[in-house]
Amino acid sequence: MSDRVEAVKKLFTSKSSRIETNKGDTYYQELFVRCEARLNELRANTPANRLDFSDLLEENGIDRREFMKWASATTAMLMLPPMFTPLVADAAVMMNRAPVIWLELQDCAGNSEALLRADGPKIDEIVLDIISLEYHETLQAASGHQAEKQLEEAMEHFKGQYLLFVEGAIPMGMDGQYGTIGASGETFHDHLVRCAANAAAVVAVGSCATFGGIPAASPNPTGAVGVMDVIKNKPLINIPACPANPANMVGVILHYLLTGQVPELDSLLRPKFAFGYRIHDNCERRAHFDAGEYVEEWGDTGAQNNFCLYKMGCKGPMTFNNCSIVRYNEAVNWPIGVGRGCIGCSEPDFWDKYAYERPMANAKIKAPTGGVEKTVDEFGLGMLTAAGIGIAIHAAASAVAGKREKSGESHE
Amino acid sequence: MSYKQVKRMTPAMRIIHWVNAICMVGAVITGLYIGHPYYQTFMADGAVDKYVMAWNRYGHFIIAIIFDVTSVLIAYLYFFSRFEKPYKKLIPNAKNITEFKAVLINLLTLNRKKEFDSSHADSFNTVYFTVFHLLLVWMLFTGLQLYVHGLGSGISSIGSWWPWMLHLVTDWTIPVTGGSLMDVRIAHHMSMWFIVCWVVFHIYYQVWRTIFWKEADIAIVIGGSKFVKDDTEK
Repeated sequence: MSDRVEAVKKLFTSKSSRIETNKGDTYYQELFVRCEARLNELRANTPANRLDFSDLLEENGIDRREFMKWASATTAMLMLPPMFTPLVADAAVMMNRAPVIWLELQDCAGNSEALLRADGPKIDEIVLDIISLEYHETLQAASGHQAEKQLEEAMEHFKGQYLLFVEGAIPMGMDGQYGTIGASGETFHDHLVRCAANAAAVVAVGSCATFGGIPAASPNPTGAVGVMDVIKNKPLINIPACPANPANMVGVILHYLLTGQVPELDSLLRPKFAFGYRIHDNCERRAHFDAGEYVEEWGDTGAQNNFCLYKMGCKGPMTFNNCSIVRYNEAVNWPIGVGRGCIGCSEPDFWDKYAYERPMANAKIKAPTGGVEKTVDEFGLGMLTAAGIGIAIHAAASAVAGKREKSGESHE
Repeated sequence: MSYKQVKRMTPAMRIIHWVNAICMVGAVITGLYIGHPYYQTFMADGAVDKYVMAWNRYGHFIIAIIFDVTSVLIAYLYFFSRFEKPYKKLIPNAKNITEFKAVLINLLTLNRKKEFDSSHADSFNTVYFTVFHLLLVWMLFTGLQLYVHGLGSGISSIGSWWPWMLHLVTDWTIPVTGGSLMDVRIAHHMSMWFIVCWVVFHIYYQVWRTIFWKEADIAIVIGGSKFVKDDTEK
C-alpha cells in the first residue's frame, strides 16, 4: 500500500512516456560534437581487454559491409539520425573499453543464456562478447574467495566507471536470507548495494531485475523486488523482457559509450528507443486484428493463415517493447511470429496480470484483497444477478404489501 | 381532486439523458467486443472488406467523445443551470440529509411511509445520479489512458497536444488501479459492470416510483414534467 502511495506522489513529477523522435538539427549537431570528443577520449585509453573487434568479426565470417549495415540499423534503433552511423560503428569497436560487472541474483540466468546460446553469434552477441566483462557470476572460472577478490579488484580499479548489470530479483523476505552469495554468505541485497555504490550506472536486465518478474509473482514467498526498489541514488536503466533482447542491451551500452549518458527513459525507467511503442503498433498480424480475424483455437484455419492471436490471449496491445521490429536472434523470429501470443513479459507484474494466455475478460483475476479468483465477467454477472434478485424481491414485496398513493384508490 | 403539472427537466436535459442512454448501450456492445471479440467474421471475405474490430473501436471512441461532451455539459449544469442547480442537493446539510433518509425509507417501506415533498428533485436521486456521473468520468479517464497507448509516437492527426494532454490527464489511473496497464483495463472492464448494475436499478426505481407514487414520474424524461396533487385547491 505504501508503494501505491509513493507511486501516486510520483505522478505529477514523472515524465510522460512520450517519445521525441526528432529533436531538431541543432540538438543533433551538438550531440554529434560531444560524442566525437568522447570517442576520441576513449580511443586514447588502453583497452581493458585484448579482444579485438575486427578480428572477431572476421573469425565469425562477418564482412565490413554487413557490419556497417548493422551499425546503421542500430543507429536507427537508438533513434539517432543517419549521420551518427560512423560514430556507432566506432563505439562498437571500442566496446572493450567499457568495464562491466554482471550480478546474477534470483532468476534463471535466462538473460545470460540469451547472449550465449545464440547459434552462430551475430554482431549483437559479438559486441557483448568484447565488452570488458570484469566479473560475471555465472560465466567466470573463479570461485569462492578467488571470485570475491576479483570483484573487489574490479570495483577498485574501475571505481565510478563501470556499468553494473544486474540479472534477477532481490529477495527481501526473512532479512534477505532466501539468497546469499560468496564465501561470506552475503545476502543478494547487501551484495547489490555494495556493487552499486561505485558504479557509473546500474542496468537492470530482464523482468526479474526490473520489476521482480516471476520470483515476485503472487504469492511472492521470498518477498522479491526489482533493482529499482532497492537502488535509489544511482542512474538506473531498466531493460525488461524475458529474456531481455541482446539488441537492447547493446543499444544501452553503445548509447552510454557514445554519449556518456543514459538514454532517455520512460516513467518505468525503460529506454524509450526500445520501449516507446507497443508490440501491437508494429505487429505483422495487426491487419487481422483490425479485420476481426482471430485464431479461435490452436491449429484452426485461422492459425494456419496467421490470423491475430488476440483471442488466444495475446497481450501485444498493452505491452511496450520493440520485439515486433527487432525480433530476437538477429531478427530470426519472435513469439507472435511463431504463432503464439505475446505474454507481456516486459510489463510490471506480467506473470500475474498478462501471462494467462487468454483475453483479460476470460482470465481469473485476484480480488484486491488477494483471495477469490474470478473473471471480471463472472464477478460482474454475479453483481448483476444480486442486483436483479434484490429488485425482484422489492418488486414482489411492493406488489403484495406496498401502499399506493391514496389518490389512485379514491374510489374506495 | 386536481393535479398540477411540475416542470422537472428542460429539453436540453432530456436530450442529454437520451444521448447518454443510447451511448451507454452502444459503449457496452462495442466495449464487450473489444474486450473479447464475441462474434466471428466470415472467413471467405478478404480482410480489407471487413475491418470489424476497427469499426467497433471507432464506434467505441466516437461514443467516448460524445460522452466527453455531455459530461462537460452536465458538470457545467450541476453548478450553473438556470433551471435547477443539482449541486445544491449534494451539500450534506441537515435538510438534504433528512430528505435523503426520508426517500430511502420510502423505498424500503414499500411506499408505506412518504414524508417528503416529491414534486421536486430529491436529494436521494441526485446523489444516485452523481454516482453515475462519477463512474462515467472514471470510464473516460481509464478509457483515454488505454487509448493513448496507441499514440506512442507522441503525434496524432490533430497534433501532438492531444497525446500530451491525455498523458497529463490520465497517467494517474495507472498507479491508482494497481501499477500496470493491465490494471487499468481490468478497472475499465469492471466499472462497466458497475454501470450496468446502476442502470438496472435506475430503470427499476423510476418505474417503481411511477407505479406507486402515481405522479407520472416516468414522463419526466420524455415530456419534461410530472404531476402532483394540487393541495391548494382543496
